[in-house]
Amino acid sequence: MGQDSGQDSAHIQPGASRPWKRACHQCDLLLTRDHAPVGQRLMCPRCGATLHRNMERSVAHTAALSLSGLLLFIPSATLPLLEFSLFSFGAENTLLNGVQALFAAGYLWLASLVLFCSVLAPLGKFLLLAFISWGSAWASLAKPVARALRWYLHLQEWGMLDVYLLGILVALVKMSDLGKMSVEPGLYCFVAMMVVSSAATVSFDAETVWARLARRAATAGSKKDPEAAQ
Amino acid sequence: MNRPARALSHGFWTCLGCRQLVTVPRETRTCLCPRCGARMHARVDGSIMLTWALTITGALLLIPANILPVMTVIYLGSGDPSTIIGGTLELYHNGLWGIALIVFVASVAVPVMKLVGLVILCLIVQLRLNVAPRQAMRIYRVVNAIGRWSLLDLFMISILVALVDMGAIAEVAAGAGSTAFATVVVVTMFAVRAFDPRLIWDIYEEKMSAVEAENISQSHQDQSGERA
Repeated sequence: MGQDSGQDSAHIQPGASRPWKRACHQCDLLLTRDHAPVGQRLMCPRCGATLHRNMERSVAHTAALSLSGLLLFIPSATLPLLEFSLFSFGAENTLLNGVQALFAAGYLWLASLVLFCSVLAPLGKFLLLAFISWGSAWASLAKPVARALRWYLHLQEWGMLDVYLLGILVALVKMSDLGKMSVEPGLYCFVAMMVVSSAATVSFDAETVWARLARRAATAGSKKDPEAAQ
Repeated sequence: MNRPARALSHGFWTCLGCRQLVTVPRETRTCLCPRCGARMHARVDGSIMLTWALTITGALLLIPANILPVMTVIYLGSGDPSTIIGGTLELYHNGLWGIALIVFVASVAVPVMKLVGLVILCLIVQLRLNVAPRQAMRIYRVVNAIGRWSLLDLFMISILVALVDMGAIAEVAAGAGSTAFATVVVVTMFAVRAFDPRLIWDIYEEKMSAVEAENISQSHQDQSGERA
């Protein structure tokens, strides 16, 4: 195995020397800029990857959007999304009872995947974003916020509200010749939650949060220097 | 010597967790990112091997996913199980060709394209093929972007199972193929995550410097030839 991380941590320095500020994470090209100007994107000149998107007032917008997402989650998870009626029978679909039905039928893996992608990951995303954008204001929360940022990166691609919405649409059309399908109020909340979720993803910028954390640490670190102790 | 600078050859790593540039001593194999605490490697650890393994797993699982039925719609006691392709054809025959197209793209075209794309990317890196790196990056980005949409069919099944549940009159039941299909999607998503696109550029870089060295030695030979 390689060296222990604690052993050589003295040689590992954040940031880099003289002209280089950043490397493209997709093609490893060294760049002399690390931040895009406000409202613009920094693209890799060689491979075209988006390196940094600097949205205006990113933290404030993300805080607001993640809070509204959390509020919208309550009705979209509890109210029925669709109703299907055939003769005098009727059944409703909520976010969770599809998972329950699959679970009851014995499809544990499928049920947990659907649960994770359509409920847990979006909820976790909103919670993490809310925590990151509010928590980055306090220097004492720097470590949990750093961990939340890392989790967010892993969780991000598993939130599939948009795919779920398309699934609802397909189900709506597919079953419309069998019985009567109708849209319920929960679906409107769900659509709003999906839009808010995408907007939060776009407005969120990890770089701004890191800069904010560094600033807090610099102002609070005059007494003990927490970075060096790590 | 006007080639663009590569971070690795200057002794820098990029943390994939927070994308910070970190100065690392040469002989280090792995360390923790000083800013976000994620484990760092110069390149994703065992990238090609892991991508191959997950891609082959996905390709093998695609067979049961397409042979076994994913869903059964039972209407008035009768109904036969339908596979993924069967469900798409049924939608097409019912005249819903728009929805049929969406379902076909999401659950047939996307998984196959993703696996083919991953195989191409692995071959480019493994066999050091002469492919323009920008083309390879385009494949990588497409494979990365389309992956999640194949879960569409499974979400639809979970909605229908809850919605159409009226005992003897009408019922939708999931089939064994759906489990295999879910695994295909998850495994290929991990495969894309495991692939490190920087390897494409490393090979490109090596080739360019080989060409450059050849040019230099050739010009030296020319000069000595002139002198003689």
